[in-house]
Amino acid sequence: MKYAFLVAWREYAENAKTRGFWIGLFLFPLILFLCVQVPVLLERQATPVRYFVLVDPSRGLAPAIEAALEKSYQRQVLAALKEYARKNAAPMTNSAAPRPAPSLEDLNEADAQSLETFVAKGGTGFFLAQLAPRLRPGAAPFQEPRRPFQQVKLPSTIDPKADLASIADDLKPYLRQDKRLDAEGVPVQLAAAILIPPDFENRLVHPQTSSPVPAPRQSPPAPQIQFWSANTSDPRLREEVERAVNAEIRRCQYLARGMDAAVIQQVERTYIPFATLNPKKEKGREAVGTADMVRQWAPSAFVYLLWVAIFSVMQMLLSNTIEEKSNRIIEVLLSSVTPGELMMGKLFGIAAIGLTMIGAWMAALFGILSWKSAGASELVGQVFVVLRTSNLVPIFAVYFLLGYLMYAAFILSIGSVCNTLKEAQSYMAAMTLLMMVPLMTMTFIPKDPNGPLARVLSWIPLYTPFTMMNRATADPPLIDLVGTLVLLLATTIGALCMAGRIFRIGILRTGQPPRLLEMLRWAFK
Amino acid sequence: MKSENEMAVAALELRHVTKLFGQFKAVDDVSFSLGPGSICGFLGPNGAGKTTTIRMVLEILKPNSGTITVLGRPSALEVRHRIGYLPEEKGLYKKMKAWAIIAYFATLKGMTRRAARSRAFELLERYGLKDFAEKPTDALSKGMGQKVQILASIAHDPELVILDEPFSGLDPVNQQVMEDLIRDLARRRRTVLFSTHVMEQAERLCERILLIARGRLIFDGTMAQAKRTMPRRVRLETGDDIAPLRGLAEVSAVRPGPRASAQGDGPDHASAPWELELRGDSDPQVILQTCFAQGIRLKSFNQSEPTLHEVFMRLVGPEAKEVGFR
Repeated sequence: MKYAFLVAWREYAENAKTRGFWIGLFLFPLILFLCVQVPVLLERQATPVRYFVLVDPSRGLAPAIEAALEKSYQRQVLAALKEYARKNAAPMTNSAAPRPAPSLEDLNEADAQSLETFVAKGGTGFFLAQLAPRLRPGAAPFQEPRRPFQQVKLPSTIDPKADLASIADDLKPYLRQDKRLDAEGVPVQLAAAILIPPDFENRLVHPQTSSPVPAPRQSPPAPQIQFWSANTSDPRLREEVERAVNAEIRRCQYLARGMDAAVIQQVERTYIPFATLNPKKEKGREAVGTADMVRQWAPSAFVYLLWVAIFSVMQMLLSNTIEEKSNRIIEVLLSSVTPGELMMGKLFGIAAIGLTMIGAWMAALFGILSWKSAGASELVGQVFVVLRTSNLVPIFAVYFLLGYLMYAAFILSIGSVCNTLKEAQSYMAAMTLLMMVPLMTMTFIPKDPNGPLARVLSWIPLYTPFTMMNRATADPPLIDLVGTLVLLLATTIGALCMAGRIFRIGILRTGQPPRLLEMLRWAFK
Repeated sequence: MKSENEMAVAALELRHVTKLFGQFKAVDDVSFSLGPGSICGFLGPNGAGKTTTIRMVLEILKPNSGTITVLGRPSALEVRHRIGYLPEEKGLYKKMKAWAIIAYFATLKGMTRRAARSRAFELLERYGLKDFAEKPTDALSKGMGQKVQILASIAHDPELVILDEPFSGLDPVNQQVMEDLIRDLARRRRTVLFSTHVMEQAERLCERILLIARGRLIFDGTMAQAKRTMPRRVRLETGDDIAPLRGLAEVSAVRPGPRASAQGDGPDHASAPWELELRGDSDPQVILQTCFAQGIRLKSFNQSEPTLHEVFMRLVGPEAKEVGFR
């Protein structure tokens, strides 16, 4: 055993000096850091302000649209302010000072009334002042989110009283970004134009009639409200405007039918809160939140890590088994250690390399998350909570070790019969192909973690580590959990025994690698 | 004295060892024994079974039949700390430093890490590689790399050293260094078994040679015994007729010999070299006397000892060709 340890120690020390090892070690934390940091930066900078013009000669709908956009913006401000308070202010204590009448914590941006309260009280200014005494020292000042949509005036060259068709024609160069529009002295790109016909009231579609209410017939058919935009990939403005316009038209219809404006408002604000519940969760805590989404998808990330980790250490094992063989160092080694000791040494030396790598990854994961969970988005915080409260990390370590040992048995067999990496390529191509399966199923399994695909794959030892990792947070049946683990363990031990036999014979062979059948004959001898 | 030691603990003893690869007999009923402190040359053509025999001695391969006793033990693994081995095909871990490789192999042979490290530096310094101790081995020349490997095989001061082609790839200066190293090992009562294709080296170093061909041990004995397998020869150069010599009972064969001197273009360029093979233990003096009696004027006369090269060619020549064409 001492000699196996010496071999393992050399494998570890030498592989730890390779560039590949250090790249592997740092690449994951770097990617992780970027994953956390880039969305924050993008959120801050990348979403451009969309400038639009609104032409409504009758002014029948413009106020409603403007109000709706303003409301939507205030909702965003309220959400941002609450997030700011969550991060930077001490939570309100119940005992001390009496709670101020409308407190920020009580407001809910999804609730129309509470949004109105927010605006009525004076918005950001009022609530920031309320927050000031509770702010943590050194907290950065609150930054209002940028308005996603900004209305601009028609260019002075276009007559707002002209008919819509000619306005549309005149706006086209701006919409195609050939010309810039002037917004308070700054040239901007026009993202959209909303053109509302003056007689829009005559163009309403009523359920009883299939065609618009009789209107002066024109050919081609009269334009309705026109939304012009060269950018069809971002429908948000159109949706907001459409929603606002229809709400306004319905309100007018109610009024026209003699309903009370106050009643209408009352009705409009009526809603019922909606909750997504999961029957598998413990009673009283069935509500599905971000944490549950994270819990469902986090294992996939671990599957990917598992795959990368196993694949990269397998490559190390292969290349230095072949190095020893092609350099004939193997003979000197075998005059000092038995093939069994040599194999064990290699196996565990490289396993230690892999464990060091995933240890560093986990440390980076926890480090970055705990550093960022205070300041970044809610999602990062939830990921951190899920990682701390689930068994994902220990499960990952167990499946890494077992998966590695099983695949290593194949690699040692391949490495021992091949004299060059080139010879090993054809075997490795088959291995890689086999190993692609869990990568492909990785995203399907969380959707039905205890379904037939997941269960079948779990019982194939080659895929057990990946599939069971994928199902880790879905409470798979005990039989799957224990059964597949026992099967995996048995397969790993069996594969290593066979690999030992192939290794012993293959490692001293020179010339062409043997056929698969011959290798199998050695394995079962 | 020596035979007593040999009797007590033979450094290496093979009895009726046979190794089959499928139908092919790589080693066929080989038996020999080496006493401590000897240098033994293990000679034979390519494919004769030398490396297979060595691998069996080291227990890398198992014989199909026969027994091998190494340093008094039935298994080389039991005494692996006391054996040093340099394989025929040489290679090193490319990225490892020279000292680290020597130290690594020494620790695999049971030395402590610290002792192995200081031993590695000591050896590198003694054999002129001090400046390369910290270099990765792929930065070394082929010869240097080979020296490192030889040093790695003896770093733990083994009692039995097996060197497979230790000289190939070394320049004459370093070959001399290696010869000294081997002699030094023998002086310290270490047993050295080495294989080589360079007969001059074997002739200089070995007291004993083993000759193997087609898996069979065809000669086992001292250098003098080896040479005695060849008939004694006399080489002479004369311009006269040598017919009287042909008729002697002591002479078994006469053939044109290699010219002894390079001055063939002088006035007596008519003289010719001859090689006479003598029967059994005949005295070469008989030839000389006959020459005087018959008036054969000699330009040169010498009793030439056969070289190991000639012994080798004679003993395995046809076999080697056969193996070569197999």
